[in-house]
Amino acid sequence: MPLTPQRRFVTPEPDETVEHLAARALPGEALEGAVERIKGWNLHIFAMRRPRGLLLGSDVVFVEPPQA
Amino acid sequence: MSVAAVHNEATIVGAEIAGGHDGTAEMVVSIQYENGVTGSVTLDADTGVSVMKACGAADLAALIGRPWREISKGL
Amino acid sequence: MYDILIRGGLVVDGSGAPGHLADVAVKDGRIAAVGANLPGEALQVIEAGGQVVAPGFIDPHTHFDVQLLWDGAARPALEHGITSIVPGNCSLSLAPLKAGDRAGLIGMFQQIEELPPEAFTQAFEWTWEDFAGYRAALEKSLSINVAPLVGHSVIRLWVMGADAQQRAARPDEIVAMQDLLRECLQAGAVGLSTSFVDVDEKARPVPSRFAQFDELDALCAVLGEFGRMLQIVPEFYDTDITIARIDQLAELSLKHGIPTTFSPVFDSHLTPQAAPRQLARVAEQFARGARVWPQMQTRPIDISFSLLRPSLFFARLPTWMRTLRLPLDERMAALKDPATADRLVTDAGPDGGARLMGDLIARGGDAIPPAFAGRTLGEIAAERGEVPARTLITLSVEHGLDVAFLAANRGHDRTDRIGPMLADPLVHIGASDGGAHIASFATYGDTGFLFSEYVRKAGVLTLEAAVKKITSDTAAIWGLKDRGSLTPGYAADIVVFDAATIGRGEERPVFDMPGDGMRYVRDSVGIDTVVVNGEVAWAKGEYSGSASGEICGIA
Repeated sequence: MPLTPQRRFVTPEPDETVEHLAARALPGEALEGAVERIKGWNLHIFAMRRPRGLLLGSDVVFVEPPQA
Repeated sequence: MSVAAVHNEATIVGAEIAGGHDGTAEMVVSIQYENGVTGSVTLDADTGVSVMKACGAADLAALIGRPWREISKGL
Repeated sequence: MYDILIRGGLVVDGSGAPGHLADVAVKDGRIAAVGANLPGEALQVIEAGGQVVAPGFIDPHTHFDVQLLWDGAARPALEHGITSIVPGNCSLSLAPLKAGDRAGLIGMFQQIEELPPEAFTQAFEWTWEDFAGYRAALEKSLSINVAPLVGHSVIRLWVMGADAQQRAARPDEIVAMQDLLRECLQAGAVGLSTSFVDVDEKARPVPSRFAQFDELDALCAVLGEFGRMLQIVPEFYDTDITIARIDQLAELSLKHGIPTTFSPVFDSHLTPQAAPRQLARVAEQFARGARVWPQMQTRPIDISFSLLRPSLFFARLPTWMRTLRLPLDERMAALKDPATADRLVTDAGPDGGARLMGDLIARGGDAIPPAFAGRTLGEIAAERGEVPARTLITLSVEHGLDVAFLAANRGHDRTDRIGPMLADPLVHIGASDGGAHIASFATYGDTGFLFSEYVRKAGVLTLEAAVKKITSDTAAIWGLKDRGSLTPGYAADIVVFDAATIGRGEERPVFDMPGDGMRYVRDSVGIDTVVVNGEVAWAKGEYSGSASGEICGIA
């Protein structure tokens, strides 16, 4: 039985920056906009974490907004 | 047209208080995303207080309608 | 001659089968026989007429790691009928740990357990570094059985030192972690725990969170050699992330043939689809053959706060939030200012805060006189001739703001929703967090609450189903050998209780931690006798001082 599709995510590579991750996850988008979108979809990293925005190797980083 | 679509970015459409795993009061924020879907994010006590402070919200109701990016810049 | 004969009770054997009147005989630490009117004599006879005789309960999510070193009964867990516990959850265990890393780990433990510093410096002697040494230290005086997890964070710390909290592991370091995990499993660890949310005392993510997925995958390959458990604590505050973790666990379970579990799963009326979505995903993954056990606690969540820190409890009251966000000295001055206090009372509503604050409970264990503890703010206010909002302010100011209040049942509190979830065969009852958050709330009595709320009051579980959930189901999920059932040959872990009264006592503060440290506890209700490996460990309100607990064998 196929699994129900869920929100897509990636995990950061070692020492990866949000800019690099955004470029990897959202190719073809302007970098600044891609970074803003990644931040908006991942408040657990970019709002709640201290220091804010610290990417960890174990993170789930969503590459799309929540699905209906 | 959705609130988020008007702003073309994630926007707070609701905020409530709930009990957290560690016994503190936490903030459950409903955010409408640019695709029109509303999702919930639970902010811990410190982040919730910071969010209110960052956008000068006197109470929960004042958070509604705020684009998330505007708030996050003040965090 | 039996050692113990428990006579005439309603035997609920853990299988889920209907209870039946019978005797249970114990010999040499094992169940010797179960049957009606068993012949033969016994050194000790326990009359259980009118009571239930069941396997001892098993708590799969605790943090008793430190407490066990001076209290082998994990009080008060044992008196609630719990005969086996799983410590070492959430990536943190006390071994393996090099002497030079102790200070760092203490900070992480204090963040989770809220133990006073004396617990680590005066209450026991650090005699070990490796897991076998910790096991030996534990085994000296256990009254309760222990199935210890080994923590991913300490494994990382051992291999990588300070870098464990800074970077990804190199391939050679991952191999070293695998070797170390293998050694721990051979020494009796029941599995590996990891965390995606915990922080240390400086709010830095714990070491396990710096691991790439390939590191966890490599460690799970070792778990696969033994068929042992992976426990994680996911980002439970966000359903999409938790579902992503469920999928990762399923991948690891299928690839390595291991059971996995995550905790906690909470239900909330504010996010009513959260728990059902998680459980639906779990069902999909079980259908594929993966074993991903969600742990759900039985007790509701309470909110606690004092005016020493700003609390979102007041987030609907602008004047209160503004005042409580002030620096401490300014906040105290504002609360003492009559005009400000008047404004706060006015802002609390035309009823003087009766609706919002009247049911708050003064918790005790802080600066207020014990006579106030356990009473509602409404009662205290009436006695003082004030409205509740005024009393909250004056009581706090009179005691340096060190007055804790509790708002009961503010999450995970809908019995009609939670009951069917607890009854779901794919839901693992657990996540008590026993021994953690000790100065914030009591993590004891969840098993009693299961019976009082979900068996007696709501009727969503039969007595037999509830017993099965916290005995044989738990033993099977974790692979605990010969436990969780009243079957001849199995370990004689037994609880005798009154089905009509079993429950949990009111939360109360006690000062029984090292250094006179405070914690909140709940007494057991309706438990008569607790037997561990064939010896009475607790009976009729008294601990026996037995030392019959052991490290659980793994099937």
